[in-house]
Amino acid sequence: MTVGTGNPPSESALFWTAISKSFVYSLLVCLGVIVLYPLLWMAASGFKTNTQIFNAPFAIPLSWSLENYIGAWNEGVRSFLVSSLIVTATSAFCTVMISAWTAYGLTRTRMPCKPLITGFILGGLMLSPTVALIPLVRMMQSVGLYNTHWALILLYTAFRIPFTTFLIRAYMLELPSDLDEAARMDGATEGQIFWHIMLPLCRPIIVSSVILHILFAWNEYLFAMIFTNAQEVQTLPVGLTSLMAKHGTDYAQVFAAMTISALPIVLLFFAMQRYFVRGLTEGIGK
Amino acid sequence: MAEMTLHQIRKTYGGIEVLHGIDLECEKGEFMVFVGPSGCGKSTLLRCIAGLEEISSGELRIGGALMNDVPPSRRGISMVFQSYALYPHMTLFDNMAFGLKIAGIKKNEIRERVQRAADILQLTPLLGRYPKALSGGQRQRVAIGRAIVRDPRVFLFDEPLSNLDAALRVATRIEIAKLKQSMPDTTMIYVTHDQVEAMTLADRIVVLRDGEIEQVGTPQELYRTPRNVFVAQFIGSPAMNVLPAQLHHRDGGATITHAASGECVLGGAGAFDAGPVQLGVRPEDLALAGDAAPLFRGRIDHIEHLGEWQLVHTDVGIDDKPIIAKLPGDLDVRRGADIALAARPSSIHVFDTDGRRQNGAGRT
Ligand SMILES: Nc1ncnc2c1ncn2[C@@H]1O[C@H](COP(=O)(O)OP(=O)(O)OP(=O)(O)O)[C@@H](O)[C@H]1O
Ligand SMILES: [Mg+2]
Repeated sequence: MTVGTGNPPSESALFWTAISKSFVYSLLVCLGVIVLYPLLWMAASGFKTNTQIFNAPFAIPLSWSLENYIGAWNEGVRSFLVSSLIVTATSAFCTVMISAWTAYGLTRTRMPCKPLITGFILGGLMLSPTVALIPLVRMMQSVGLYNTHWALILLYTAFRIPFTTFLIRAYMLELPSDLDEAARMDGATEGQIFWHIMLPLCRPIIVSSVILHILFAWNEYLFAMIFTNAQEVQTLPVGLTSLMAKHGTDYAQVFAAMTISALPIVLLFFAMQRYFVRGLTEGIGK
Repeated sequence: MAEMTLHQIRKTYGGIEVLHGIDLECEKGEFMVFVGPSGCGKSTLLRCIAGLEEISSGELRIGGALMNDVPPSRRGISMVFQSYALYPHMTLFDNMAFGLKIAGIKKNEIRERVQRAADILQLTPLLGRYPKALSGGQRQRVAIGRAIVRDPRVFLFDEPLSNLDAALRVATRIEIAKLKQSMPDTTMIYVTHDQVEAMTLADRIVVLRDGEIEQVGTPQELYRTPRNVFVAQFIGSPAMNVLPAQLHHRDGGATITHAASGECVLGGAGAFDAGPVQLGVRPEDLALAGDAAPLFRGRIDHIEHLGEWQLVHTDVGIDDKPIIAKLPGDLDVRRGADIALAARPSSIHVFDTDGRRQNGAGRT
């Protein structure tokens, strides 16, 4: 058999391409299983009874009754979920709006000492939450925000502004300034330029920032544990821990509660997968 | 009363001065073109007029009112950006209507004004589209449309044609000329580094170099009586030939001779000081010498055929710099052949050694 230039690839070449392809696919499938299996196991365990969990931990549930899920929901997961939603949504909105407005100021105005202010804001990235805990507790107590949603909203916003500003600022620096100059010629005020021109142009990075913030706020544990103690204001991570402490032996219900708490993020991931990947790579540089 | 007056406009960026005291007057309805080499400050001057850059010192008046500290939108100015700067997330209609909406104008009137501009620019069928679904020429027209709807006193263009291909550039240039005719009361300021655009569009041209005005005048004035060597070489294509020469008074008339020993009797001795000078002659003013006394003799180095014309590069042995002559395309000349070129005395430009023009009247 002769193989000249321009002929279709030989059979052995095709064979090796097929081999390497199937190798890559099987690797990806393995990775997928490693990631998904614990999640599925957790969700499935929520349908089992405690005896089943111990006797046949890897078996398919015998019945698909929602009993454990309903139990967990009524045991407090509902209030944790509501708290988490309130805290996450409000702080995401505040963080992104404040950061975008700050980034706009840092990139588009003739403000003096811009490098200094930029440095100051980015300096916030260095501040470890653990170090600030005790003063923060005292401050929150003295302004009467201790043990409220507002404590968490404020803290999450304050601690995430540096990073978010950094992301949005990097994006705005890349945007040509012609558009906001055109808007200025059109008579737009700073606020109108920000709202009608810059925000729409920055949509990709805004979405990424919101996602990153949600990831952070939904899973945050340290602040949530320290600044809330009543069940009505506790968020999911803290709530789940207390649930475990209370019903430590009722594993089925704990698994159900965990599944409920993971569900929103998983759904969010599938809805906004494209932005997710972008958000995680943003800021790495081009 | 001039429509727009610039008095000693200076602009510094962090201690570096890029505009060194610009003085200029613009009449109502005039089409003024700023030309100059890259980096000479054309865009900076335009942006100072627009209000996008702060004027470091000097006065800018539009319609008599001092405009230095007036925000851009209240100067009665519209600007067309080189990049068009269309808002990508708005339809063409919204792009054009944005400024009007912000000004709080009523919906009906906005619709009417946008419609009128769209009709002029043949954009009506495209009004619902987004900028990314347009060709370069159409985007250009939208950018102009957005400027028109605001009904400005002064219209600014920063190299509006530089992103278009050659054919479209010619077509759009003609459209802009027509647009100007349809808006006789609007003053237009147009930045370009393309001198064909400058010559064809301008009522008056401002030649800038290194942040200073070299000359202001009609295209004809700049072409016929450039004030110095820089303007002489900048206006006209191919550029004017300039070479060192000597001026003598002989037999009651002035004679100019250059290093390669050609000469030309200029006449009118009184107009010139004898001594070293620079001689300038445009390629299109050179012709085969025939019986006349040749100004240049040399060997043809290179020929560029342009169809109707050919550019003949002749090595006359000065500074390794060839003399370029624009000769009719059907003339039979060959590379390597000897050639003798002559020019009418009246077409000779004489500059002093500093590059300032010496013969006042210029060509006739
Ligand atoms: N923001 C700035 N900071 C510092 N220097 C600047 C700034 N903008 C422009 N310059 C300088 O000012 C000078 C004039 O620039 P300008 O953009 O006006 O040139 P131009 O004539 O428009 O050139 P071109 O034909 O290339 O557009 C240049 O030397 C440039 O380096
Ligand atoms: Mg420029």
